[in-house]
Amino acid sequence: MAVKPLLIGFSAITAVVVWAVIPLIASRSSVDLLVFTALYSIAGIGVSFLLGQCGIVSLAQSVFYGIGAYATAYGCVHLGWPAPISMALGMLISAIIAWTIAWPILRLSGFFLALATLALAIIGQTLFVEWDWITGGTLGTGGIPKLDFFGWVLSTPQRFYYVIWPVLGVILWMHYSLLNSRHGFAMRAMRDAPDAALTLGIPVHALKVRVFVLSAVLGAFAGSLFAHYVTFVSVDSFGVSRGINFLLIAVLGGAQTIIGTVFGALFVTLLPNALSKFGDIHALLFALLLVATVIYLPLGFAGALKQLLLKAIKSGNASDSGQRVEHKSKSGNTL
Amino acid sequence: MKPILQLFGLAHKFRGLSVLQGVNLEVHSKEITGLIGPNGAGKSTLFNVVSGFLLPQQGKILYEGTDITGWSVTQRSRAGLLRTFQTPQVFAQMTVQENLMAAGWLSTSSGFLNDMFSLPSARSDILKITERAEEVAERFELDSVWNIRAGDLPAGRQRLVELARATVGSPSLLCLDEPSSGLNPEEVDALRRALERLTETGISILLVSHDMELMAVASRVHVLCFGEIIASGNFTSVKENPRVREAYLGV
Amino acid sequence: MASGTLLLQSVLTGLTNGFVYALIGLGISVVFRGTKIINAMQGEFALVAGLVAYLALRTFEVPLVLSFLLGIVAGGLVGWFMEAFFISPARLRGATDDTFLLVTLGVAFAISAAVLYFFGRDNIPMPGLGGNGSLDIFDAAIRIHSVWLIVISISVVTLLMLFYHRTHLGLSMMAVSIDADGASMTGISVPRMRLLTFLLGGAVGGLAGVLVAPLITVHYEMGLLLTLKGFAAAILGGLLNPSGAVIGGVVLGLIESIAVVTISSGYKDVISMTTLIIIMILMPNGILGRGGRRGG
Repeated sequence: MAVKPLLIGFSAITAVVVWAVIPLIASRSSVDLLVFTALYSIAGIGVSFLLGQCGIVSLAQSVFYGIGAYATAYGCVHLGWPAPISMALGMLISAIIAWTIAWPILRLSGFFLALATLALAIIGQTLFVEWDWITGGTLGTGGIPKLDFFGWVLSTPQRFYYVIWPVLGVILWMHYSLLNSRHGFAMRAMRDAPDAALTLGIPVHALKVRVFVLSAVLGAFAGSLFAHYVTFVSVDSFGVSRGINFLLIAVLGGAQTIIGTVFGALFVTLLPNALSKFGDIHALLFALLLVATVIYLPLGFAGALKQLLLKAIKSGNASDSGQRVEHKSKSGNTL
Repeated sequence: MKPILQLFGLAHKFRGLSVLQGVNLEVHSKEITGLIGPNGAGKSTLFNVVSGFLLPQQGKILYEGTDITGWSVTQRSRAGLLRTFQTPQVFAQMTVQENLMAAGWLSTSSGFLNDMFSLPSARSDILKITERAEEVAERFELDSVWNIRAGDLPAGRQRLVELARATVGSPSLLCLDEPSSGLNPEEVDALRRALERLTETGISILLVSHDMELMAVASRVHVLCFGEIIASGNFTSVKENPRVREAYLGV
Repeated sequence: MASGTLLLQSVLTGLTNGFVYALIGLGISVVFRGTKIINAMQGEFALVAGLVAYLALRTFEVPLVLSFLLGIVAGGLVGWFMEAFFISPARLRGATDDTFLLVTLGVAFAISAAVLYFFGRDNIPMPGLGGNGSLDIFDAAIRIHSVWLIVISISVVTLLMLFYHRTHLGLSMMAVSIDADGASMTGISVPRMRLLTFLLGGAVGGLAGVLVAPLITVHYEMGLLLTLKGFAAAILGGLLNPSGAVIGGVVLGLIESIAVVTISSGYKDVISMTTLIIIMILMPNGILGRGGRRGG
């Protein structure tokens, strides 16, 4: 079927063109939303990967998001360090903390683990308030410098947009690579039958820790980018509800697809805006949406969409090949 | 032939109940050794001890001359000691091909970061494990189901996939846990033949089962009853041993 | 530095809080025994019950004790609703443990968000049993309501123990989670038992809510913390052992309140959450030993 790669290539180019043109025609606030979509996608990919590849529900991403934001805020504002160094510091701290807690915690199963991550989110939230000499507590930290690349300052949503989406693209590609490597196979094996994976020499626990650390680094990265975008951060952005948002993004998008996370993030960013006239009702709707998706669309929207597409392709293919090939859905860890 | 596996005085109690009492056993290289016994004899426990899923309270295990009693499951796998499970543990959401490829983990070494950036070592690793997977699939006649999700296959096929998967890494000792349970007589025959072929390629096999007929393929059979070995020998002599008959028929 | 009186006072506070956590833990235990599901929204029963009691009291001027009872009923109803409209559909679609976790968590957040939306961030005060009166123990004081709390908690735990082990209904409810098919073959209505389990769990959660409301005020975030602390209490006592939750709850309450006076009150939640994590790692089967699910 030579049509398929042609179709994909065509859609990809169209998508890129559309993406590039949007900031030129859309309003500033729309572009702003799209920047947030990318930011949340980066953090969301971490959660999605943990969920989809390791079967771990993590509500602790908000903590690392916060660490990334506060580290870069503190480094730039109080220590006068350049942004890349402060950001790297945030990611390093997150990595170390994640690595330290992961070892004992990831031995827990299912409920226990998820609730442990929730407990972590609460601890993080509380410490962000208590340790106000670093974070500024409820008053927050302001004056965070914008990012600049040798003079080109990311002072507008448009400029940030043109930087962050390619960055997101690179991160998506990195995960795609990982999934199609021996580590990807190991992770899926570990998710499907952990004992059997052990017998194949796969270091299940060590691998989970690694993925957890990766997820935390992503969270911190997203958090520091966030800080440099909004230039003012306070504890409200790093609480349990933020953690729920990230989880929702992963669940909505369908944790087994990578690109689904972006759709999840898009939804989560656009919905509160669309409902703004109803006040803060989006939190309630998000929670209900989480429940509904989990019950009725366990593969998330992107996953469900993919199933539909595969079925459509299959029925199109049925008359084609001479050999009877039973084409069940593949394990779907490509894009 | 030097034994590839030696068990010395293995003993284990669960909540005060003695499940294994001083088990001594040898598995010889490139042979099929059978361990048979009625339900409740302690086979699973012994199996879990040998494969590293349980640490025995007493006793020693020597593998190729080395004491592996305290080794983890992954350490044993790296040394070539693999096991299968009573209920076939295929990677259900992965295709047969992917199941076989997952087994390529031990023979490759591309690191996490390498893999994330799709560096050459990552790509050559994938080529290597794909090739090997194809090889094994052909040997086990799994090409026709290559693209099917392992979880969608019937039980007999799943067993075959699990077995094939275990051979991908060229193990030295393969421990099979009730490999014939859930199989019809035809499938058991096919299994017997597959096992014989495996030993021809140099793999030693420890076969644990309660199925007497499957044991015909073993060079040597040990009978476990209430945690003790009550008989050892070739298939025919064990089958006709009065103590064994008593254990099985309760006569 | 903690003086003797301060220490005694914190012990009394810890004891009181402990019994609240015990009740939540008890509710978690009840739901677990009946359905093998760990209910991540147990604390929300308390929140809803507290709110309903408040509304009954302030808006409809219903007498205090009756308001409390209405709160408990509300808790039970939410429980019933939960099983009927969320858990059951999920189960029908082949839910795994992860699904139930996300469903109960999702509903917990939904309730919390709903309360935030309709009632705002205010702390809603409730009067207690015995008004503002208190008992003096040496130099420390314990509110009369707190004494009632402890007494009622102990009675409820005892009653539940008897219920589960001596009554046909209680045994049936447990049987359903151990072996649903077997239970239905002996004529037990599995769906009904599950509904009853959640109803009971909800009521117990509601009881915790109305009892704790006068002490800490009702507010939209209280559910989640209560759930986690109750969970800690339940694990500490062993998930299948309801009376264990009492021990667990009291231990947790004491640790929390003593830490608060020795370290700082701002760290209260950090301490209880860290304790929860430590308990899960070191003692997944509780200090009383085995008898829970393989959570560790």
